[in-house]
Amino acid sequence: MLVGCSGDRSILDPAGQAAREVAWLWWGMLAFSTVVLVVITALWLYAFRGGRRVARSSRDEQRIARRWIIGGGLLLPGLSIVLLLAFGVPVGQRMLPLPLPDGQQVERIEVTGHQWWWEVRYPDAEGGEVVTSNQLMMPVGEPVDFHVTGADVIHAFWIPRLGGKIDMIPGRTNVIRLEADASGVFGAQCAEFCGAQHTNMQLHVEAMPRDDFNAWLAERQAPPEQSDDHQAARDTFVEHCASCHRVAGVSDGQQGPDLSDIGDRVSLGAGRLAMEEGAIAHWLRHHQQLKPGNRMPSHDHLDAETLDALGAWLETLSP
Amino acid sequence: MSETAQTSTPRDPQRLHEDMHEVWGNPRGLKALSIVNHTTLGLRFMATGMVFFLIGGILAMLVRTQLAFPDQEFMAPEIYNQVFTMHGTLMMFLFAIPMLEGLAIYMIPKMIGARDLVCPRLTSLGYWCYLFGGIILTSSLFLEVAPDSGWFMYTPLSSGEFSPGPGSDFWLLGITFVEISALSAGVELVVSILRTRTRGMSLDKMPLFAWYILAMALMIVVGFPPLILASIMLELERAVGMPFFEVAAGGDPILWQHLFWLFGHPEVYIIFLPAAGIVSTLIPVFAGRPIVGYRWVVLAIIVTGFISFGLWVHHMFTVGIPQLAQAFFSAASMLVAVPTAIQVFVWLATLWLGRPVMKLPMLWVLGFLIIFVCGGLTGVMLALVPFNWQVHDTHFVVAHMHYVLVGGMLFPLMAGLYYWLPLFSGRMPSERLGRWGFWLTFIGFNATFLIMHWTGLLGMPRRIYTYETVMGWDIFNMLSSIGGFVMSAGIAMVLLDIALHFRFGRPAPQNPWNADTLEWTTSMPPSAYNFASLPRVDSRHPLWDDPELPRSIAEGRHDLAVIDHGRRELWGSDPLTGKVREIVHLPGNSWWPLFASLALAVVCVCLLARLYPLAGLATLAAVGFLLRWSWENGAHPRAAPDAQVQPGDPPLHSRTMDGPGLWAMSIALLANGSFFLSYLFGWFYLWTVSPEWRMPDTSPLSLPLMVLAGVALTAGTLWLEKLVRGLRRQDDRGLALGLFAVTALGGAQLALLIWVIWQAGLAATETAHDAVLLLGLIYVLLHGALGTILTLLQGLRVGYGYVSAEAPFEPAVVARLWRYNLMVFWIVVFALVTMPMWLGGGA
Repeated sequence: MLVGCSGDRSILDPAGQAAREVAWLWWGMLAFSTVVLVVITALWLYAFRGGRRVARSSRDEQRIARRWIIGGGLLLPGLSIVLLLAFGVPVGQRMLPLPLPDGQQVERIEVTGHQWWWEVRYPDAEGGEVVTSNQLMMPVGEPVDFHVTGADVIHAFWIPRLGGKIDMIPGRTNVIRLEADASGVFGAQCAEFCGAQHTNMQLHVEAMPRDDFNAWLAERQAPPEQSDDHQAARDTFVEHCASCHRVAGVSDGQQGPDLSDIGDRVSLGAGRLAMEEGAIAHWLRHHQQLKPGNRMPSHDHLDAETLDALGAWLETLSP
Repeated sequence: MSETAQTSTPRDPQRLHEDMHEVWGNPRGLKALSIVNHTTLGLRFMATGMVFFLIGGILAMLVRTQLAFPDQEFMAPEIYNQVFTMHGTLMMFLFAIPMLEGLAIYMIPKMIGARDLVCPRLTSLGYWCYLFGGIILTSSLFLEVAPDSGWFMYTPLSSGEFSPGPGSDFWLLGITFVEISALSAGVELVVSILRTRTRGMSLDKMPLFAWYILAMALMIVVGFPPLILASIMLELERAVGMPFFEVAAGGDPILWQHLFWLFGHPEVYIIFLPAAGIVSTLIPVFAGRPIVGYRWVVLAIIVTGFISFGLWVHHMFTVGIPQLAQAFFSAASMLVAVPTAIQVFVWLATLWLGRPVMKLPMLWVLGFLIIFVCGGLTGVMLALVPFNWQVHDTHFVVAHMHYVLVGGMLFPLMAGLYYWLPLFSGRMPSERLGRWGFWLTFIGFNATFLIMHWTGLLGMPRRIYTYETVMGWDIFNMLSSIGGFVMSAGIAMVLLDIALHFRFGRPAPQNPWNADTLEWTTSMPPSAYNFASLPRVDSRHPLWDDPELPRSIAEGRHDLAVIDHGRRELWGSDPLTGKVREIVHLPGNSWWPLFASLALAVVCVCLLARLYPLAGLATLAAVGFLLRWSWENGAHPRAAPDAQVQPGDPPLHSRTMDGPGLWAMSIALLANGSFFLSYLFGWFYLWTVSPEWRMPDTSPLSLPLMVLAGVALTAGTLWLEKLVRGLRRQDDRGLALGLFAVTALGGAQLALLIWVIWQAGLAATETAHDAVLLLGLIYVLLHGALGTILTLLQGLRVGYGYVSAEAPFEPAVVARLWRYNLMVFWIVVFALVTMPMWLGGGA
C-alpha cells in the first residue's frame, strides 16, 4: 500500500507537517466514508428484496419511516459533519501563516508565476536579494512563508508533498506557510490552468539544511565569473537575448527567466527537458516543438554554430 | 360548471379527438417549424440534447485517449485545451440543462393536468435559441477556434490579452444565447406549475416531480443571471475594452470567479434536483406504495435550493479569501448533505415498506444511488478546507465531479427515459439489451472515475495534456481510459436499445408500470392536447384512486371538453389551493419565435465577426419580431376576440386582472432583479476589494439631472398605476390618452438619462469605475426604453380595441415593469451617486 502511495507529487507520501496531517485526514475520511457507503448500499439492496413484507398498520409504517429519515437524514450527516469539523478545523488552523510565538523570523521566499515559468526571489538573503527561476531551494526543519503572485494570468503554487496549494493572482499576494521535515527533492507543478503550456510549468523544489541553504544563497550573491573563451557567445546573447533575460553582470532583461545560474539547474523549459551537456543548444533550436506556444521567439535566423556556442556559454553559468 | 361537465354523458372519444385535434394538432411539412406545442418541443429539446451529449462524449474519449499513455502526442496542446473546454461546456450547457428542461417541458403539463405550458411561444423561442446557440458554439470546434480557457473561463486567461482569438467570444456569446432558452423555460415552468394545475390539485397534492421542477426553475431564474452579467462584462472587455477584470485599470479577475460560481454552484443542483425528482417519482411506483415523508422531501427540496446559493465560495478556497468566510462556506457546503441524506433515506424507507420490483428503470436508480452517495461523500471531504487545499484542481476533483454529475444526473435520467419510453413511443423497451447497457455503463464509469480519485491523490493536476512516467500515474490513467471506453460501449448499447425499441418494441399497455400520476392517463404516445377533458384531482395518486381515468378523460367526461370556440384552453387555478379561477387561453402556432431567434442568431454571428453596425440592425429586427409577437394577445383576432365561455365557467384570463401573464412578468423580473443584484454586488465588490480601484473625488454623474430623470419616471409610474386602478374598477375613460402621457414621461426620463451620460464624459475604456457606471446607466436606459415602448403599444392597442375595460389585463403587466424600473432607478441613484458622495471618493 505504502509503495502505491509514494511518488514525487503524492499527497499520500507527505514530507512536511501540513501534508502529513492532510494525509491522515484523508485516511480517516476514507475509512469512515467506506463504512457509510457500504452500509447504505447494503440497506438498499436489502430493501430491494421484496416479498418478505409483513402487514403493518399505517401508524407502524409512519414510525419506521420517521426513524429512517431522522436517523439517516439528520443524525448521520449531522454527526459526520461535527466529527469532520472537529478533526479538520484544528488542522486548518495550524496551516495558517500566523506570527510565531517566540518572535522567530520566518524565511520569506517570493514566487511569481509567469506563462509558463517560475520566478523565485529571496529578498531577505544576507548580502542582497537572490533571484533564480524554475528551481526553489528552501531550508529544512523550519517554517517558510511563500509570498506568491501571478505576473500575467492566474497560476497556483503547489508542492504536494509539503502541503496545500494557493492561487497566484495578478495584483494580489497570497501567503502560504510550508515546512519540510528532511532534505530532499520534491516535484511541484502549476495547479491552476494557465493556458497552452500549463502542463510544462513545473518547479524543482529542494530542501536542504540551513547551512547549505545559506551557502547556496551566498554563492549567488556575486555574478558568475566570465572567461574570455565565450566572448562571441556573450555578444550574441547581448544582441538577441538580453532584452528579455537577465544574467547577473551581463544583462538585465525581466521578461523571461533569470539565467544567472542556469548551468546549475536540473532542467530546462520549467521541467520540459533534463539538463545535460548540449541540452541548452538543443532547446534553443527546438523549443517551439518541445514546448509549443511558449513565449520565446524561435531562433531560426541564427545558425547552428552560433546557437551551439550560445548554449555552451550558458552552460558555464554556474556559481 | 365542472359538476355539469363531470356528470355529462360520455361522448364518442374518436369524434372528440378529431375536434380537439382540429384546434391543437401539429401542422406538417415546413409549417412544423411554427409548432409551439410542449410535447413536440420537449421531444425536440431531448433529441437535440442527445446529439450534443454524443459530441461531448466523443470529446471525452479524445481526452481519455490522449491521457492513456505518458508522453502521448495524439493531440497538440492547443487542440487538447479546446477539447476539454468544449467537453465541459457542451455537457453542462448544451446537454445536462436543456435535456432536463426538455423532460420538464414534456412532462410537467401532463403531470399537473394541463394541455400545454402557459407561454407556448416562449417554449418555441427557447428551443430555437438553444439550437442556434448550440450550433454556433459547436461550430467553433470544427473551425478549430473553439474556446480553450476551460469551461469556467477564468480571466485574465480568457481576456483579450491572453486569448486574442475568437474562442472566448464563441463561449461568451454562444452560452449567453443558449441561456435565453434556460431562462424562458425557467419562467414558464414556474408559472405553469403555480397557475395551471388542474382543478383540486393543491400544492400538497402536486406530484413530487413538479416540486423538484418548480425548485429547479426558480433556481434557473435566480441562478443564471449572474453568469449572463459576467459574460456580458467579459465580452464588453474583450470587444470594446471596458476593463472590468483588469487589475491595472481598477478591475479584478476574482470578480469573474465570484459571479461565475454564484451561478456555477446552484447549477449543480439545477441539474441534480430534476434528476432526484425522477428518482422520487419512480421509487413509489416500483415499490407499489406512496412515498413516505412527502413533506420531508418537499422541505429537503426547498432547503437544498436555498443552501445551494450559499456555497459558491467552496470552488474558490485556494483564492486566498478571509479565513472566516472560508469557515462559513465550508460548514454550509457540508450542511447541504443533510437535505440530500433526507431524500436518500426517504427513498430507502419507501422501498423498505413497499414491495419493490426490480425492473430496468430501477436498475438505473440503484446505480444512481451507489455512485451518487459516493460522490456526496467525497463532496463532504472537499468541503473541508485543509483537504481542499491539497486536492483542489487535481484529478480527485475530476473524479468527484463526475460521480456527482453522472451519478446524480445521467443515471436518473436513464432511469427516467426507460420509465417514460412507453409514453414517448407507445412501446416497451427490451429488458435484455437494456441490462447489458446498464452494466457496461456502470462498470465502465466506476473503472474510469473510482481510479481517478487515486490518480489525483498521487498529485496529477487537472487539465494537463500529458505527463511523464516518473510521476507514477501511467497505470491508473491507462485503467481510466479503458473504463471510459467500456462506459461508451454501454451508452452506445442503451442508445441502440432506445432506437430499436421505436421500431421493434412490443406495444405498451395503458399505464404499464401501474403508476399513480396523470401523465399515464393520456394516450400513448400522447395527443397534442394531452387530455380531452381535464380531470379533477383529490389526492396525490389520481390514477391509483381511479384506474378508469384514461377512459373517462378521453370520453370528455371532465372539465373543458368543449372546443367549438376554437380556443386552446386550460384551467388557470389558485397557486395554493388549486381552485379554478379562470380559463387560460393559449396562442396557437406562431412563426414569431423562430424569426426572433433567427434574428438573435444573426446578432450573435455579427458580434463574433465584429460587424457591429449589422449586429445593431439585427437587434432591431429581433426586437421588432418580439413586439409583433406581443401584439397577438388578449382581444386580438388571433387570440381571443370573443370572450364567450360556457355558462357557469369562469372568465377568460385576458378578461381578468391576474392572469398568468402577470405572473410570468413577475418571474421574469425576479430574474432581472437577480441580474441587477449581481451588478450591485460587482460594484460594491470592486469598490471594496479590488486592489487598484480608484474612486474619483466627485461623482462624474450629475445628481440633479439624475433626480430629474427619476422624477419623470416616478410620475409616469404613478400615473400608470392610477390607470390600472381605474381598469380594475371597469373604468377606461381617458385610457389611451393617459397611456400616451405616460409614454411621454418615459421619453423625458430617457432624454434626461442620455444627457447624464453625455455630460459625464466617462472614460469607460480606461477605468473599471467608469466602465461599471456606464454599464449601470445603460441597464437603466434600456429598461426605461422597454417600459416606454410597451406603454406606447398599449396606447395603440386601446385604439384597436384590444385593451379596454372588458380586456383590462395588459396595462397591469406593463405597470409591473414600471414599478421595477422605478425601484431599480432609485437604487442606482443611491448606490452609484449618493453613497460615494457620503463615503467620500478617493478611498
